[in-house]
Amino acid sequence: MINTDVMALVEAVQRADSALGLLQATQALAAAAHPDGAACLVEVLGFNNPGAAVAAVDGLIAIGEPAVDTILTNIDGYNYGARAWAVRALAGIGDVRGLEVLEDALGKDIGPSVRRAAARGLGQLRLENLAAPVRQATAERCLQALVEGCRDGEWVVRYAVAVGLESLAPELHPEPQQRLHAALLGLRHNPEEEAPVVSLRAALALQRLGVSHG
Amino acid sequence: MAAGTADQPIPGNGDPISEEEALRRLRLTDDPSAQYYAAWWLGRNRSSHPDAVPLLQEALRQRRPRDPGAGVEENAVARNAARALGKLGAPARAAIPDLLATLDDDDHGLREAAARALGELRAEDAVEPLRRRLASGPAVAGAQQPGTPRLQEPCEALLEALGDIGVADPPVLAVIEPFVGHERPLIRSAACRALLQLTAEPRWGDQLVALLTHQQLQVRRAALMDLGAAGWRQALEPIAATLAENSLKLIALRGLVEQPAAGAGQPEAAPDPATVAVLDVMDALL
Repeated sequence: MINTDVMALVEAVQRADSALGLLQATQALAAAAHPDGAACLVEVLGFNNPGAAVAAVDGLIAIGEPAVDTILTNIDGYNYGARAWAVRALAGIGDVRGLEVLEDALGKDIGPSVRRAAARGLGQLRLENLAAPVRQATAERCLQALVEGCRDGEWVVRYAVAVGLESLAPELHPEPQQRLHAALLGLRHNPEEEAPVVSLRAALALQRLGVSHG
Repeated sequence: MAAGTADQPIPGNGDPISEEEALRRLRLTDDPSAQYYAAWWLGRNRSSHPDAVPLLQEALRQRRPRDPGAGVEENAVARNAARALGKLGAPARAAIPDLLATLDDDDHGLREAAARALGELRAEDAVEPLRRRLASGPAVAGAQQPGTPRLQEPCEALLEALGDIGVADPPVLAVIEPFVGHERPLIRSAACRALLQLTAEPRWGDQLVALLTHQQLQVRRAALMDLGAAGWRQALEPIAATLAENSLKLIALRGLVEQPAAGAGQPEAAPDPATVAVLDVMDALL
């Protein structure tokens, strides 16, 4: 797709004068998955139109790494809703530049849906292009954030932490790997756990990682 | 189930307090506003303090005829006390007679809160009184009150309680079934949910699945919660495809995982393939 076509799609988003019009224009721009559309898609995250925001997040994930800088420089510390959507986009893209935002979101965000997206995102950062020492250190930062997330007060966040830990496991050396297993065993056997599904998900993760869990 | 009714917002002054402080405030019988928050707090935090249930029973008894415009009144305290008792599990079963007494109260909202609590406590003694309140059918119990959006009875709560308690006697089923034809989709959803819980007949699950594509988001949300409460595994794919928030789909899918195991499940067993299929769908919604 050539640039003028993307500009036309961006203009259509900016001209939209109804919720439905915005949704449709955003879907069209998102489907183009063109880096020149990223700034406009990030803007849509702040429009308080959930349907359009979902489409914009999908579009940003489809653009991938070229969208990351745009998201990070425009992340809105005041507009809570926009920030939540941006965390989801960063979690979906998996670029390591989003690490700090994801750590912060899992540890501090007031919205369970944001913490849950961050926990999943921390398990699926793409670390393969990093130099080995940085790669291991980064994976251990993800592990640390997820270990702390095991104590989250919302079952759905603890569930997402179990999923994040499972997908992070292959990145870790044996010693931190042991800590990861211990965290999953904690989720598996936590006597305070009110949601059996969390314990079951941890059991599945341990089974897939070849760890016996009783 | 109307989405959102399960988790009441923090009423009044939402300051963080200790269990001791909540119990102290619940004793302040001349300060309904403090009692109101205290009752909510004890339920929200699932207090297991030995004083919690007796104090909530007291709060239920201090209700009086409604006095609109009086701010936080004793009846509001009683409603929150009923809701809290529903969340306190086995120790709260001692309060079942008090909750049964409020089922005949003039306060529609109190009857609703008491019905839900009795359902949560699986109070078999409540089946007959609940059934009786619905027995006049959609045309009477389910008729709209003049001048308000309310029905004569809190039908949704009464139906859901009967489903949760789980007594599948023919007279109970006979009273629930006509509500499947109620004009309001939320009532139809509650009736199908109860019948699905009580009979496990696919036709009720199929009707709930059909409501997942209703044009109103509120109805789609209710059908999601109801399928989750009934643990209807056949709804896995339709739930995943429903146009609604992922947060609600995740709650419904949690129900699909946990409900079939309720009472019979082996908590230590590793997940079976059918459960793994549900978990995989949940993972994709995070």
